[in-house]
Amino acid sequence: MLFLTEVLGAEVVDVRQRRSGRVRDLAVRIQEPYPVVTGLVVSRSRELVIPWSSVRAIAGREVALRVARDEVEKYPASPDEVWLARDVLDKQIVDLDGRRVVRVNDLQLTEVRGELLLVAADIGIRGILRRLGVEGLGKAVAHLFGRTLPMVLVAWNVVAPLEPQAAETASAGDELRLRISGRRIAKLHPADIADIVEELGAKDRKAVFEALEEDIAADTLEEMELEDQVSVIEHMDAERASEILEEMPPDEVADILAEIPEHRAQEILGLMEREERDDVQELLAYREDTAGGLMTTEFVAVKEDLTAQQCIDELRRMEPDAESVYYVFVVDDQEHLHGVLSLRDLIVAPPEKPIREIMIRNVVTVRLDASVEEVAAVLSKYNLLAVPVVDAEDRLQGIVTVDDALDEVLPDSVKRKLPRVF
Amino acid sequence: MLGGLIARLRRFRRVFILLAVIGPGLITSNADNDAGGIATYSQAGAQFGYKMLWLLLLITISLVVTNEMGARMGVITGKGLADLIRERFGVRGTTFAMALLMVANAFTTVAEFAGIAAAMELYGISKYISVPVMAVVIWLLVVRGSYPVVEKVLLAIGLMYITYVVSGLLVHPSWGDVLRGSVDVPHDVVVSNAYFLLAIALIGTTVTPWMQFYLQAAVAEKGIPNEQLAYSRIDVIVGAFVTDFIAFFIVIATAATLYGHLSPEQLSNMQAGDYAKALGPVAGNAAKLLFGAGLFGASVLAGSVVPLSTSYAVTEAFGWERGVGNRFSEAPAFFAIFTGLIAFGAAVVLIPGVPLVGVILASQDVNGLILPVVLVYMLVLLNDRRVMGRYVNGPVANAIGGSTVMLLLLLTALLLVSALPGSPLAG
Repeated sequence: MLFLTEVLGAEVVDVRQRRSGRVRDLAVRIQEPYPVVTGLVVSRSRELVIPWSSVRAIAGREVALRVARDEVEKYPASPDEVWLARDVLDKQIVDLDGRRVVRVNDLQLTEVRGELLLVAADIGIRGILRRLGVEGLGKAVAHLFGRTLPMVLVAWNVVAPLEPQAAETASAGDELRLRISGRRIAKLHPADIADIVEELGAKDRKAVFEALEEDIAADTLEEMELEDQVSVIEHMDAERASEILEEMPPDEVADILAEIPEHRAQEILGLMEREERDDVQELLAYREDTAGGLMTTEFVAVKEDLTAQQCIDELRRMEPDAESVYYVFVVDDQEHLHGVLSLRDLIVAPPEKPIREIMIRNVVTVRLDASVEEVAAVLSKYNLLAVPVVDAEDRLQGIVTVDDALDEVLPDSVKRKLPRVF
Repeated sequence: MLGGLIARLRRFRRVFILLAVIGPGLITSNADNDAGGIATYSQAGAQFGYKMLWLLLLITISLVVTNEMGARMGVITGKGLADLIRERFGVRGTTFAMALLMVANAFTTVAEFAGIAAAMELYGISKYISVPVMAVVIWLLVVRGSYPVVEKVLLAIGLMYITYVVSGLLVHPSWGDVLRGSVDVPHDVVVSNAYFLLAIALIGTTVTPWMQFYLQAAVAEKGIPNEQLAYSRIDVIVGAFVTDFIAFFIVIATAATLYGHLSPEQLSNMQAGDYAKALGPVAGNAAKLLFGAGLFGASVLAGSVVPLSTSYAVTEAFGWERGVGNRFSEAPAFFAIFTGLIAFGAAVVLIPGVPLVGVILASQDVNGLILPVVLVYMLVLLNDRRVMGRYVNGPVANAIGGSTVMLLLLLTALLLVSALPGSPLAG
């Protein structure tokens, strides 16, 4: 991961270690989703650009060329190129209502398959401090007060360049203002962080996850593909991994841990809090492509001898997550599933009425060993948001949500276009 | 007949455009004669008679040119000065500019509160009551967003300045001396520490740093199209002349009534009541009360505008959430700067025994010392084709803007030299 302001002023060195000027700016070609760097601007006044194809590597404050100084075919600036320092850095980011929100304090670049891409705009205090040369100091001071200075980034794919304003306002090309398209957020949504992180190498991913706060890190991880989740957790130290995983639903944690080496999984599990650990261990015991492997143990179950009012009070006490609250399952002392209630049923019932009398008795269930396809078929046939999973004795073990089931049966390309239900 | 009617309507159309465009220049010119302005112009008249009028004439040219430059930048770019500084000079250059602006404006806010204290003392109210009360009142006025209404009331109080013009005419000054003072650089007093100091204050109070930010932001806010630049120019140039026309008469009225009647000790320790005597020819025994009302209104007006415009400038430059419509938690920097400046201004004035007029004059010097830096930033921007397109500065504007910077640097250098022990310029 690289910041524009770290590259600006870097020495350009050719293949024979001869100095060839300093980086004054980076020229990019705008393309979706991330603009790609096309060259190094070494002289602003003469507008000469060294093509990116001549660059071998950027290391520290030095840019190494792959050819000799005089073999570089410098080209004159082209009007379709945008210069990052001149046209984008320090500019205002405007939201959809034209309200001016934040400034571009820095730009984040990432090398992906030999190309340098502009992936995000740094709009936080860290960017300002970095440019004043006191980012380290700022972090130390924040640390002193027990805080971390979070990196505040806006992914470039939600920032679309605005066309240049009418020519009479000023010379053409001056007004490259930015517009956040699609959403009016100033801060990066976990799904957007996930998109960026998926483009990064293992080392950079680690850096990103270390900078994020735990709950955001957990949300981000949840948005990623299993394969990437596994790689992130594998590279993270066990302590941090356990803290982040504790914030995630047990079924997802189990999926991740099932994929990483046994001893490592055990190490992370050992560091987790008891309650979360038990849930995850239970799930790990089931095969992945069955209802047991797919289910989450986060569901709401109440005893059948309650009244409607008592049941509502109980829910209030439990503060269940949104994902699990759509159905309230009714069980006996041995966890046998006897019925199900919707929140609506509960609320419209007279407070003193026993829930036994209002619950639906014939609950649709699946067995622990039901296949993914079977689960999906049940969900779809009965139009359910979640289906309860029971063992051979009809004891409630967990629920499979429609989201988790769809994730398994749909191809990736379709999944991305679906709205999230939970 | 129809043709004649249309032609007449056309003529009126111009008037309507002018009315829509004017405002920033006139408000600015009124806020310019704040506590700092009144005290500095009065001190100039009392201490040096007409011998600073030549400088005031030069400053008028400067003010006209800098106001025009600010209005032009505001119209053409549609952005405030802080915006442009950030986009052109990056984080480091911006941090430097904003730090200086904060210093200058913190001192200006002190001056406004000193003005409030001095004005209220003329009415027999202690500063320990007037300053804390007005600090809270100003804070609430601005945070509640009721500032625009108050602005109009305070501008009306500002009309008090017209009495200076009447007073200046009633005292029958020696117009010959006035003329001589306006064109002749008096060699006898020019070479002194006190003269340099007051000269810097005189420039710093007329072409203030905060005014450059406020004026441009106000013009940009109006969203005036390029074709109407001419009207905006009229607005700010007329505003500049009005400011200095009044300044001119404040100097004449105080010079005619006070110059030569005061001992050096009295001059170095002036009170608001002394300045009020310049209004004696008009108001007689009510001079103090009239002066107090005007000083109070001007100080409250500028005391609200300065902290508010500083918060806007700084948050704009760094891209932080801003505006009085937000909650404190949504725009913490904006409210912190605004509240901090008011608290600082009030706190300094509340220090027991602090000389109110002395504080006001000193703060104008701080402004005068910081002004050249702000002007340099402006001149660089105004000469950048990427910013201004074909509206870049012409040679005349550059020459006058550059000369103002040079004059200030020269005066600062002379001041430093004159402050050295045993300097031939001391005295």
